[in-house]
Amino acid sequence: MNKYTVINPHEPFKVINTHIHNVDGWAKVTGRAAYTFDIKLPGMLYGKILRSPHPHANIRGIDASKALALDGVKAVVTGKDTLGIKQGIWRRYKDLCDEQILPVDKVRYIGEPVAAVAATTEEIAEKALDLIEVDYEVLPAVFEPLDAIKKGAPEIHEGFERNINVTRHIEWGEVEEGFEEAEYIREDWFRCGGQAHMCMETRCAVSSYTPDKKLTIYHSNQSPYYMQGLMAGVLDMREGDIRVVAPYVGGGFGGKFELDGAIFCTAILSMKCYKPVKIVYTREEDFIASKRRTPMFYYTRTGVKKDGTFCAREAKVFTNGGAYTGMGATALYLTGFFHSFPYRWKGYRYDGYRVYTNTLPSTSMRGFGAPQAMWCSEQQIEWIAADLGLDPIEMRRKNSHQEGTILPGQATIASCGIDQCYDEITKWIKGKGKLPANRSIGISACGFMSGGIFNWFDSPYSFSSAVVTINQDGTVELHIGAQEIGQGSNTTMAIICAETLGVKVEDIKVHSGDTDHCPPDLGAWGSRQTLMTGNATKMASENAKKQLLEFAYAQSGLNIVYDLDIKDRWVHAIARPERGEDFVKLVRKALRGKDGQKIVGRGYYTPHRKGMISPAYSYMLQGVEVEVDEETGKITLMDSMTAHDCGQPINHLGLIGQLEGAFSMAAGYGYLEYMPYEDGKLMNPNLVDYKMIRAPEMPPANIAEIDTYEPEGPYGAKEAGEGLTNPTAAAIGNALFHRFGVQMKECPVRPEMVVNALKEKKEKEAAEKK
Amino acid sequence: MEKQLLRLNVNDQNYEIYINPKTLLVEAIRDHIELTGTKRGCDTVSCGACTVVVDDMAVKACSVLAVQAEGTKILTSEGLEVNGKLAPIQKAFLDEGAFQCGFCTSGMLMSSVAFLNETKKPTEKEIRDGIEGNICRCTGYNSIVRAIDSVAKGKYTEDKV
Amino acid sequence: MISDFTYLKPGSAKEALKMLAEHQDDGKIICGGQSLLIIMRQGLVTPEYVIDIKKLKDLNYMTFDPKDGLKMGATTTHRTIEKSAMVKEKYPVLVEMEEKLASIQVRNWGTIGGNLAHADAAGDPAPVLMSMGGSVKVASASGERVISLDDFYTDLFETAMNHDEMIVEVIVPPRPAKSATKYQKFNLLDSDQGIVAVAATITLNGGGVCKDARIVLGNAASTTIRAKEAEKVLIGAKLDDAVFQKAGEAAAAECQPVADIHASEEYRRHLISILTKRMAKAAWEQAKISG
Repeated sequence: MNKYTVINPHEPFKVINTHIHNVDGWAKVTGRAAYTFDIKLPGMLYGKILRSPHPHANIRGIDASKALALDGVKAVVTGKDTLGIKQGIWRRYKDLCDEQILPVDKVRYIGEPVAAVAATTEEIAEKALDLIEVDYEVLPAVFEPLDAIKKGAPEIHEGFERNINVTRHIEWGEVEEGFEEAEYIREDWFRCGGQAHMCMETRCAVSSYTPDKKLTIYHSNQSPYYMQGLMAGVLDMREGDIRVVAPYVGGGFGGKFELDGAIFCTAILSMKCYKPVKIVYTREEDFIASKRRTPMFYYTRTGVKKDGTFCAREAKVFTNGGAYTGMGATALYLTGFFHSFPYRWKGYRYDGYRVYTNTLPSTSMRGFGAPQAMWCSEQQIEWIAADLGLDPIEMRRKNSHQEGTILPGQATIASCGIDQCYDEITKWIKGKGKLPANRSIGISACGFMSGGIFNWFDSPYSFSSAVVTINQDGTVELHIGAQEIGQGSNTTMAIICAETLGVKVEDIKVHSGDTDHCPPDLGAWGSRQTLMTGNATKMASENAKKQLLEFAYAQSGLNIVYDLDIKDRWVHAIARPERGEDFVKLVRKALRGKDGQKIVGRGYYTPHRKGMISPAYSYMLQGVEVEVDEETGKITLMDSMTAHDCGQPINHLGLIGQLEGAFSMAAGYGYLEYMPYEDGKLMNPNLVDYKMIRAPEMPPANIAEIDTYEPEGPYGAKEAGEGLTNPTAAAIGNALFHRFGVQMKECPVRPEMVVNALKEKKEKEAAEKK
Repeated sequence: MEKQLLRLNVNDQNYEIYINPKTLLVEAIRDHIELTGTKRGCDTVSCGACTVVVDDMAVKACSVLAVQAEGTKILTSEGLEVNGKLAPIQKAFLDEGAFQCGFCTSGMLMSSVAFLNETKKPTEKEIRDGIEGNICRCTGYNSIVRAIDSVAKGKYTEDKV
Repeated sequence: MISDFTYLKPGSAKEALKMLAEHQDDGKIICGGQSLLIIMRQGLVTPEYVIDIKKLKDLNYMTFDPKDGLKMGATTTHRTIEKSAMVKEKYPVLVEMEEKLASIQVRNWGTIGGNLAHADAAGDPAPVLMSMGGSVKVASASGERVISLDDFYTDLFETAMNHDEMIVEVIVPPRPAKSATKYQKFNLLDSDQGIVAVAATITLNGGGVCKDARIVLGNAASTTIRAKEAEKVLIGAKLDDAVFQKAGEAAAAECQPVADIHASEEYRRHLISILTKRMAKAAWEQAKISG
C-alpha cells in the first residue's frame, strides 16, 4: 500500500536507522501514558474560563459576587487579580510583548479570557461563569488586515499606527538588475487561509501553588523551559521557583509554545486558593481561543529568462495577525525567507507586514509561514513554466539550490539532495503512464530549516543541553530538555545516545519534559531538536564515553596509536575487535577509579556562524495525483509521492510517520481545512464542521529518502517532518491547473471554488470566441 | 441530583460506582473507575478518542450514558494485554509506528480490535473505513492501516493472548 | 454540560409509552443517543425525565414478507441493517446508505428509530426510506398510527408526532417490479453527513417508460423533501440523459436550501441538480435490469 525506498543508503551504524520501536510506545499502546489531561492531584479544583463574546470592547467592570456566592466556588480571578504584565515570547522586544492573557481593561477578540473560576467540580465552575457580570463598552472592530491598515480603522493596540504590528524586510543580491535582465515577468496576488493546530489533546494545565511560594505546573506544551520563563515573567517570580512538567503531550504542531489561558489561569487561581487547579479546554475553546496558522495576502512578482533561468523575485505580504503577536512575528520572517526557496535568484526582496485585527491571534504552525509561501511560489512557478512552454520540473531543477549555494547574509547551503528528488519524482510520474481522464498530477518543491538561530526569547542558556549518566549496571540516564510531543524526539535522542556510547536503545532511559530535572532547551519548534538536541546528546554521550575509554586505555596498556571503541556493549580496540571487555564490567571498574562517582557526560549546542536562519536545510519534492469530479468540484487524493532529503535518517520508522503525517496536514490545508470568520466569530469551532483528512481520504504515501550528509547535524542528520507541511497545497493547486487550466489563488481550495473557477473559465472562453 | 448505584464490567472486572445518571460512559470510565487510557477529544461524537468496545462493538463512550452500559462487557485499551503480554494489535502498532503523540491511540486500538474481530481478510479500503470514526492528527493513518493489515494477515498469530 | 434528569428504564414498549404519557412535556426518549446527547450537552434539549428504550427487546426486530415488505423495530441499530443479508438482497440501497452513515461506532449504537425521530434534514435514512414510500408506526399509550414519511417531517427538527408518541416501527413497502432506488450524498469526508443528498426511486413499466418516480432531497430545505417537480419530469417519460438533466434542473429550482459555511445556496442547488440527474439515471439503469 506504500513504497519506501532509500537512495544512496549510508548505514555503517549499529543503532541509527535500524528498526527501533518508539521508546514511549509501550506506554502509549497500553493506555498507561498519562497526559496533563489525565492528571488528578489530591484536593484539586476545576477551573473554567469566561470568554469575551465581543471582538473588541473595553471592560468597564466585572462583578463576580454572585459566582463567588455559589456553593463550591473557591475563587474567581480577573485581570485585576494579576500583575497586568504584558507578555510575549519575543521578550527581547518589549513592544511585541502585548498579551496579558487575562486582560485588565480591554478585549480584542471573541474568545479572549475575561475571568476564571475555580470550583470543586467542573460543572459548578461552568455554572459560575453564567453568574459573572461583565460590563463591556463595545468598540468598533476590524477583521481583515487590508481593512485594518486603512486610515481611520479602529485602533487595536495603542501606538501601532495603522495596526501594523511588525514589519520585515529581507533583501539580497541585485533585485533591480535581476528584473532588468528578466525576459518575462509575472505577478500574482494570492490569499492563504488559516489552519487550526487541532491537537488531539486540547490545551490544558494543572497548577499547584504551595505555601513555600513554589509553583508546580503540569501543562501540555512544546517547551517547558519557555513556559517556565514566561510564567516567571508574568508572576514576577524566579524561574527556579517554578517547575513546569510536560508529561506525555497530545500533539503540538506549533500551537503549544506560548502561554495559553489554561496555564495562566490555573496558576493565578492556584495562587489565590493554594490548591491545585485544573483547566481543560473544550474542543470549541481550543478552536476559538488557542491560536492558528497565519492567514496571509501575498503579492509576488517573479522575473525569469525565456530559457527558464530565474532572475529576481519580490514579494509583499500582509498577514492577518489577529489580536496579539505571539510567534506570528517569526512566521512573518520565515514566510518571506522560504518564499525564495529552494531556488537561486540574482536578487530577492521581501516586505512583510503583520497586521493586528480583532480575530484569534495567529502564530506558528508546522511549516511556520512556509506553507503559505509555497502555495504562492510553487503555483506561480508552474504557471510561468506553462506561460513559457517549459518543462516545470526541469525549470525548477536548473534553478535549485545546490551544495554550496549562498543566500547572501542569510545562509550557506552545506548539504542538498534536491537534484535527486527531481529524479525520483520524474520516475514516479513516468511510472504512472497515461492517467484516466479525470485525474492529474501536481508537484511542488521546497526546503526547510533544521532549527532556528533565533533568540528572541533572550535565553542565556545554550539552545540545547544534554546530560548522560552511566549507572553501575550499564544503564544510562539521558537528561534532555527537548520536548517529546509525538514527533519521536525521545526515541531520536535515545538512538543517538546508544549509537554514540556503543550500547543498546533499551539501555537508555530518557528523562525529558521537566524543568526541575532536565537541562534547559528551547524545546520542540522549527524542527530544531534532531539537530540541536541531537548534537548536545551526541556531545554528552561522547564525553561520557571518553571518560570510560580513558580508563579502558589505562587498564589495557595499549600502545597509544591504537583506538578503542564500544559497539554493542563491547569495549575493544578497533584494530582487534575480538579482544575486549564487557561494557558493564568496565563501567563497574571505572566507577571504583572515580571514587564511586557515576560517569557523567555533558553536551550542549548553540549555533554559531550559520547565518540568520538555520544551521542546515532539508529539501523535498511532493507529487500528488488528484481526481476531480468536474461537475461537483470534489477533490479526491489518489496517490502521492515524496522525494525527500533529510540528511542521514536517524529513525526510519519515525521518519516515515513524520512524512505521512505532514502530508495529511498539508493536504488538509490545501483542500479541506477552512476557518471562516463572520464579524470576528469563527463559524466552525467543532470537529463536525472543521474538516480534516481521515483514513479514507488519505492516499498511499510513497517515499524516496535521499540520504545526504549534513556536516552540522548529528551523524549528518537534519530536519524531517515539518518541511513536508509546505509543498502539498501547491501540488494540489498545480494538479488542478494541469487538468483544467484554472489558477487557484486562494487556499484551501473548496469544491465550490473549483466549480466557480470552471464556470468563469467557460464564460471567459465563450466571450473570447465572440 | 441523587446519585445512583451503577455496576459496570470493564476489562473483566466488576465495578460499583455511584453516579449522576447523566454521566457519560467515558466519564464513568475515566473519572470514576479511573482508567484514563480512554481519552476525549471533542464534544460532538466526532473524534473517536473515547472509543471502547462494548459487547464486541466499537462504541464512542462519549455518546452513551454510563447507565446504558449496565450489563454489558466493556473493553478498554488497558484490557488488551494479558499479564504483561501485549495483544497482536498493540505489537503491530509498535512495529509500524502507528502512533505519535498517542492521544488517539487507545481509541484507535479499540476500533481496530473490534474491526479485526468482525472482518476477516479485510481490503485496504475496508480497513480505512473501519477507522474513519477516529481522528489521528499525527500519523496520516497509513501506519495504522499497515498495522491493522499486518494483524489481519496473521503476522502475530502466535502472539494471540 | 448536560442538565440533570431522572433516568427511567422501562421494561417494555408499553411501559415506555406509559412513562411518556406521564412526562410528555418534560420527558424525552433516548435510544442510541448518538445525536440526542450532543444537543443535550449543548443545552438545546433539557428534559427532566429521560426514558431509555435502547435495550427494549420488543422494539428490536427485523422482518420481511413479500406482501408487507420490511418492518424494523425502532431500536434496530444501523449496523444491524447494514449487516443484514436479507436487507442486502431486498433493499440493497439501504445497505449502501448505512455503510456511508457516520462511522462504525455510531452505527453500532445508533438506531433507525432514533435517527428518524431526530428529524435532521441532513440525515441519511429519511431520504432513502421516503423515496421507497416508507412510513413509520408511531405509538402512544392510547394507540398506534402509521404516518407516511412524506407527512412525517413538519419543520426543522420537528415531526408530526405528538409529545406522547414515539416511533415503534419503520415500514418499507415491498419493492415493485422493475424498480430501483439509488442514494448519494455530496460530502467532503466519507463519514460526513451530506452537504446535500438525493435519493431516487425509478419504477418502469413493461415498455421501459417511467411509471413512477420518487425523488427525495436531503439537506436541501428545513426538512427532507420530495422533489415533486422533478418527479413530474420523469413520470411518463421515456428516460434519457436529457430527461435526467431536466429533472435535475427541476429539483434544483424547487428545493429551498440555505447557505452555510460549507456551501452557498446557489452551489447547493447546483449539487442538487447534479445528484438528481445522476441518481435518477443510476436508479433507472438498475431498474432496467431488476426483476
